[in-house]
Amino acid sequence: MDALIALIQNAPGAANMSAQALHNTAAALMATLMFTVMALCAIVFTWMERKVAGFLQNRYGPMRTGRWHGWAQAVADMLKILGKEDIIPAEADKGLFVFAPILVLLGSLLAWAAIPWAPGFVAADLDLGLFYIFAVSSLVIIGILMAGWSSNNKWALYGAARGAAQMVSYEIPLALATIPVIMYTGSLNTQDIVIAQQGGLANWYIFRDPFLFVAFWMYFIASIAETNRGPFDMPETESELVAGYHTEYSGMRFAFFFLSEYANLFLVSLIAVMVFLGGWWAPLPLLDVIPPALTFIIKGVMMVFFNMWVRWTLPRVRVDQLMHLCWKVMIPIALICVLGSGIIQMVRG
Amino acid sequence: MAQYFADIYEAVSSVLKGMRITFKHIYKKPVTLQFPDERQVMPERYRGFVHNDMTKCDSCNICAKLCPVDCIYIESEGKGKARMMTRYAIDYNKCIWCSLCTENCHTGSITMSHDYDHSVYDRRTLVYEFMDPTQETIPCHRATRIDMGWWVEPKEDKPKPKPKPAAEAAPPAETAPAPEAPPPADDKPAPGTPTPDDDKGVEN
Repeated sequence: MDALIALIQNAPGAANMSAQALHNTAAALMATLMFTVMALCAIVFTWMERKVAGFLQNRYGPMRTGRWHGWAQAVADMLKILGKEDIIPAEADKGLFVFAPILVLLGSLLAWAAIPWAPGFVAADLDLGLFYIFAVSSLVIIGILMAGWSSNNKWALYGAARGAAQMVSYEIPLALATIPVIMYTGSLNTQDIVIAQQGGLANWYIFRDPFLFVAFWMYFIASIAETNRGPFDMPETESELVAGYHTEYSGMRFAFFFLSEYANLFLVSLIAVMVFLGGWWAPLPLLDVIPPALTFIIKGVMMVFFNMWVRWTLPRVRVDQLMHLCWKVMIPIALICVLGSGIIQMVRG
Repeated sequence: MAQYFADIYEAVSSVLKGMRITFKHIYKKPVTLQFPDERQVMPERYRGFVHNDMTKCDSCNICAKLCPVDCIYIESEGKGKARMMTRYAIDYNKCIWCSLCTENCHTGSITMSHDYDHSVYDRRTLVYEFMDPTQETIPCHRATRIDMGWWVEPKEDKPKPKPKPAAEAAPPAETAPAPEAPPPADDKPAPGTPTPDDDKGVEN
């Protein structure tokens, strides 16, 4: 942010701008950039999802649109969805029905503010960065519940109820898994967390101690559940609930949910990279030539691939199994990780 | 309690096993054929759409009489050497791909092609006319055709087919005229005729 302000200050004609105006301009630029990145990642990841799914199943996936491997398929889908009729069911609660997709998208977009892309390059350099991310991403739950409930449709309501139960439950192991890292860093600031992992692979938090290694996997599993993706896609189970909480949505409003799903997917992947996998630091000194932001994004995309790989491998779990996994397995293990890592830190001094 | 840990162990190990299996498949070559660009090579005896080579057909009516669903329509006028074919059509709505017509064709003109992609928007267009629409009639008699230069198969190579009742089996396909015999340039198959190398379908 400071770097951006300095950049604007040096731009021609900006010498007389007040500090407030500079700050506002930089904030607007940053917000535009974040939103663009988010929309782009949704387009790229829908295509990537279909290609990964295809190759995992010995298929090609989309091949026709665009010259190379159907790269334009997601763009074509986006244009198609823009041209679709916007339907609001007669019996739906109109205000909430319209507001829900915006809230879902807002929840994902707000969290992007605290992602540290490169040294000094973060939209909101908050002291409570990680806490802020977990707090605002909870807005998605309200949005989903709102969408399902206002649709006045039994499938949508089932999906929303499942989604709310699942996401509220899995926020606990998600946050618990990051606590050892916060204890190591002594800060919730996202930049501080990344800076503390400087110095190659061995300093990444995932390899600091065995409990952190387990904590990473707890975080990873919980993040899949948080993004409502397979094998935990209970809120949208196509085979049972048509499309879950967004059954009644069409056109651009549906696209908002879709956008939010992929933005969330990238978000949780970036948080995993930031918290456990060294953020913008390259794994080997040899790879330091790559710009930090690019390293960060490459790692994030690899995590997204890993997410997709899991989705297209494992079958969907049952609702009771989902809750069993969260409350009886993952939360105890995450708590043990916090305890164990704390003891190790105490012993190491 | 032991069961609890055993369950966790089983879950982790089976997930890893599944992930390993799917990962292996990323590197395998996809089995998909990009259909309109690549096509599966059909087996030798695949029964595709029935094709009739009008240069060989002498309108003997064996196929039409054998056909269990009466999907072959042959019309002719005149008698003896002056007999002229006026229509040869196959209705693929009815055809059951039994191949009785091709096995009993004494000139080998009617064959099972390897074509299969003839989807149409209207089922009426599945009645394929094999006559060239520019020609009203085609002489049926062999001698007349040889005079016209149509019948390119040399007469002496072929054992004389004994005239038999239509219902009985005619000489098998080996004795039929050489299938590669090129038809004269002026006798192109009718636009509605499916040919094995006609890739784009017919009616659409």
